[in-house]
This record gives sequence, C-alpha cells and structure tokens, in this order.
Amino acid sequence: MGKAHIGMLTDKVINMNKFYSSKLAVFLFAFPALLLFTVFVIYPIFPEILISFQKNDGFRNMGYVGFKNYADVLQDKTFWRSNLNTVIIVFLSTFVGLPISLLFALVMDRQSEAMRRFFKFSSVLPAVLSVTVISQMWIAIYEPMWGLLNSILRALNLNNLALAWLSDSRTVVPSIAVAFLWQYLGLNALLFYTGIKAIPKTYYEAAMIDGAGFFRASLKITIPLLQDVTKYLLVLSILGCMSQFAHVRIMTGGGPGDISRTVVYQLYYVAFSTSDFGRGCAIAIIFVIECLLLTFVINKFVAQERIEF
Amino acid sequence: MNNKLKILVNTVMILIGISFLFPLYWMLNISFKSKSEVYDNPFGLPKQWVFNNYRDALEKFSFLRYLSNSIIYSVGTIVLTVFLGSMLAYCISRMNWKFKGLALSYISMGLIIPVQVVIIPLLIMTRNFGLRGSRMSLILPYSAFALSSCVLMLYAFFRSLPKELEEAACIDGCNVYQSYFRIVLPVIKPAISTQCVLIFMNTYNEFFLAFILGAEDKIRPLTVGLLNFFVSIGVSHWGQIGAAMIITSLPTILVYAIGNEQIENALTARVALK
Repeated sequence: MGKAHIGMLTDKVINMNKFYSSKLAVFLFAFPALLLFTVFVIYPIFPEILISFQKNDGFRNMGYVGFKNYADVLQDKTFWRSNLNTVIIVFLSTFVGLPISLLFALVMDRQSEAMRRFFKFSSVLPAVLSVTVISQMWIAIYEPMWGLLNSILRALNLNNLALAWLSDSRTVVPSIAVAFLWQYLGLNALLFYTGIKAIPKTYYEAAMIDGAGFFRASLKITIPLLQDVTKYLLVLSILGCMSQFAHVRIMTGGGPGDISRTVVYQLYYVAFSTSDFGRGCAIAIIFVIECLLLTFVINKFVAQERIEF
Repeated sequence: MNNKLKILVNTVMILIGISFLFPLYWMLNISFKSKSEVYDNPFGLPKQWVFNNYRDALEKFSFLRYLSNSIIYSVGTIVLTVFLGSMLAYCISRMNWKFKGLALSYISMGLIIPVQVVIIPLLIMTRNFGLRGSRMSLILPYSAFALSSCVLMLYAFFRSLPKELEEAACIDGCNVYQSYFRIVLPVIKPAISTQCVLIFMNTYNEFFLAFILGAEDKIRPLTVGLLNFFVSIGVSHWGQIGAAMIITSLPTILVYAIGNEQIENALTARVALK
C-alpha cells in the first residue's frame, strides 16, 4: 500500500468523525423522538403518582390523603376479583393457548406447501380483524338460545352443558379468555413456525439416522431450540393479557354485576364511571408494579442464553 | 407417527384452520338474513336472501367518517413514528455522543410500560394541552408508544449496514442530512415498510385509547364507532350488525388479501430477525 493511499484513508476517517460528531446534527436527529417519548410515555407516570395520593375527581385536587387510596383499593373485593380474572386470562392464554399454537406450528411444518399456504393465510385473519368484530362474533357463539356452542351441545344431547356462558358467573371469565386466546392462536402459531423454519435441517437429519419420529424429534430438537421464540411469545402473551380490556368491555361490560372485570377494566371503571381519579391512579401504580415484576420474573427464569445457529 | 394418530391430528388441525376463516363466513352469512331468520337459522345459509341490511346499516352507521378517522390515525402515526424513530435509531447507531447507550435503554422502557397504565394522566394532559376532541390527541400518544419497538428494530438494521455507504456520500460532498435522507433511508426501505405494516395493524385495530380519548363521535375510529353502532341498535338486529361488520372489515380484508405475504413477513420479522 502506498503512502498516498494511507494518507487518503486517514483523511477519510477524520472526515467521517466530523460527519458523525456535529452536535447540531445529533440534537436534530435525537431530540424530537426523545421529546415525544418523554412527554407521552415517561412523564405521565409522575402526575399519576402524585394523583394517587390525592382526592381527585378528574378536575380538581381536593387535598392529599396519604395512602388512603391504596388502602381503599387493597381492601376492595372487586379489585382482588379483577386480579383473579386477569390471572385466569393470562393463565389460559399462556399455558393453554401457547402450547396449542406450538403444536399447530409443528404440524404445519409437516404439511404440503399448498396446505401450508392455506394455514398461513387463515391463521392470521382473526388477528387482523378488529376486536369489535371478533368479540361480537363470540357473543353470537355463546348466545344461550341459538348460539353456535349451545346448538352443537344440544345436537350432541348434552343439554345440561348448554349454559348461559356470558351471564353465568362460573363460566364468564374462561369464556372471554377462550375468545381472546383464539384470536391470537394463529398468529402465535405463525411466529412459532417462523422459529422452526430457522432451525437448520441438518439437526433433523442426524435425528432421522438415529430413528427419531415426529414426537421425539420435536421434543428433543425443535422445542429446545425454540427457546428464544418461546420467551418472546411468553412476554408478549403475558403482557398482552395483563392489559386485557377490549374483549371484556364488548362482550360483557364487566358483568354480570362486576364479576368479569379485569384490572384495567376496574381502573377504567373507578376512574371514569365513579370519577375517582385518585383511586384510579392508585390501581394504575399497583398494576404497573405487577407488570414490572412479571417481566422481571420471566427474564430471570426463562431462556438465559441466546441460541446461535 | 402411526397412521391413525396422524389422521386425527391432521383433522383437528384442519378444523382449527377452518375456524380461523369462520368469522368471514359468519359475518357474510348473517348480513344477508332478515331480522327473524337470524334467530331461527343462525348459522346455516340464508333461506331468503335479504340485501336491505347493507343499505339500512349504511344509513345509521357513519362508516365513511369512522373509516377516514381510522385511516388518518394509522397514516399519521406511521408518518410521525417512522420519521422520528428512524432518525433517533440512526443517531444512536452511528453518531458520536456521550449518552447514546443511555438513550437506547431509555427508549426501551416503552416496551414494558403498557399504555393502559398512563391513561388517566394522558386524559388530563390532552385536556390541558387543549387537544381534547382533536385527532392529535390520539396520534401523539399512538406514536410515542410505537416509538420503542420502531427504534429498536431500525437500530438493529442500521448496525448491519456498512459504513462505506456514508463514506462514499461524504466524499461526494454530502452533509450528514443529505446523506441520511438521500442515501441511507432508501437503503433501509424494507425495514421501514415492515414497520409501516406493524404500526398500521396496531393502530387501525387499537381499541383502548380510542375508546377513552375519542369521546366525541366525530373523531372516533372504526373499532369504537362500530361498538357504538351495536349499542345504538341493540343486539336485536343481527342482520344489520353483520352488514356493518362486513363493511368495516372490507378494507382490512382487501389489504390482507393483496399483501398477506408481506404482512406475515412483517408480523414475524421480530422472530426472524433475532
């Protein structure tokens, strides 16, 4: 390499440094996004903490009341019921929904190309349609007199199982959970499938030589190698279910009575229907702590190391 | 796997696969039934085809207003988020400044703060800013909450780009702004279109914020407008409900039918990217 060439290279490096170090450019590129993010995502937490210690009807602060709002919330049976409902929805979506999605993805991997195209197309459709449409459809499915579910049960001579799904306090929350988990079943399956496709075929060839069938190959190779995807879907699914609101609002309005409220629904109800913003903010703060704890637990216990192929 | 089990598993999977298409069939089906036929024959094909439901639904349901609101929200959020987010991502991945690591962690916090948590202060803020009842009261929070995943994804993308790209531009005498908008942005088009699809899907179907902040009918998007329509006609006339659902879903279904491959790729991008 000649001297001239080296000189040119250093020039270039110096130029590039100047290029990337302009304070004005950094400001213009970074500031607007950080400002927007700060104002609408981070900043609101501060007034929220403040209001949670006030008696506040949404328009005025009527004095600081210490931890009274928190004490009220924690003594409220409806709040605990809403936590239980949220846990039921999280549990069903995560520990029933995700395994079905995984199985679906494993089977999809074994199908012919045409079949796979059909599955790929149909599986995302419920997630693409709006919650309003999907929830309304489930209202019709659960309808006690002529709904699809009860029609099928009656045709199978299971008359005593034909319940009023959405107005029976025993079935209402699981029924909502099923509607919710079904809507994202296909999308989650597609995400698992994308993960499966990324596994090099050589892993399976080795297993085939050892005589492993579908189940052994899935258990020993596919599922362990899907750790990253599984972790991603766990976080997504759990946080998504935690903040469940729309399906409940549309399908039952939190009813019958206050039986099917989720935490976010309870927050909405307390703040906007009873105009108690102080208590609403207390619920929000407790809720965000719950979310942070859950995220922490998932990160701590699931899939520590990254897998590289 | 033995054969009987294989047939069983396949049958179940095909049934689940078909269940995903059921909403389409069901909506179309009831939208052509008269008020009384829905109760007598809720899931079979209509015995008597009724076409009035569409006309009646369109008369009572301001579809075009809600649709245009939904489109304004989606497009506005996409433009704002992608414009600001891509600049921040570029700035963090390429430029020299002290706090870029901090900025990246800071913006990642958005991934674990659900929008539901800050709804009460957001409502008070939109009132104080004088944004109540304006469309910006939804576009700004939508964009702010969409920023985190947009920045993180584009940041990963920028890091994989070779620096020679800008070096060439620099030698040609471009300044940093020209090189960014003329050279760099066109190169990351695939990542940006993925972001557009993701943000569109989230915003177009968003319910919670729209339900609470969109208090006035004139700024409501389709998701909330449709619910109000259901409530206003009661659950009595399922034929009209079906027609309204078909009209509402038509844009989404058309977009999905044309671009389903791109949409699938966008939705799975985060898993595929790693």
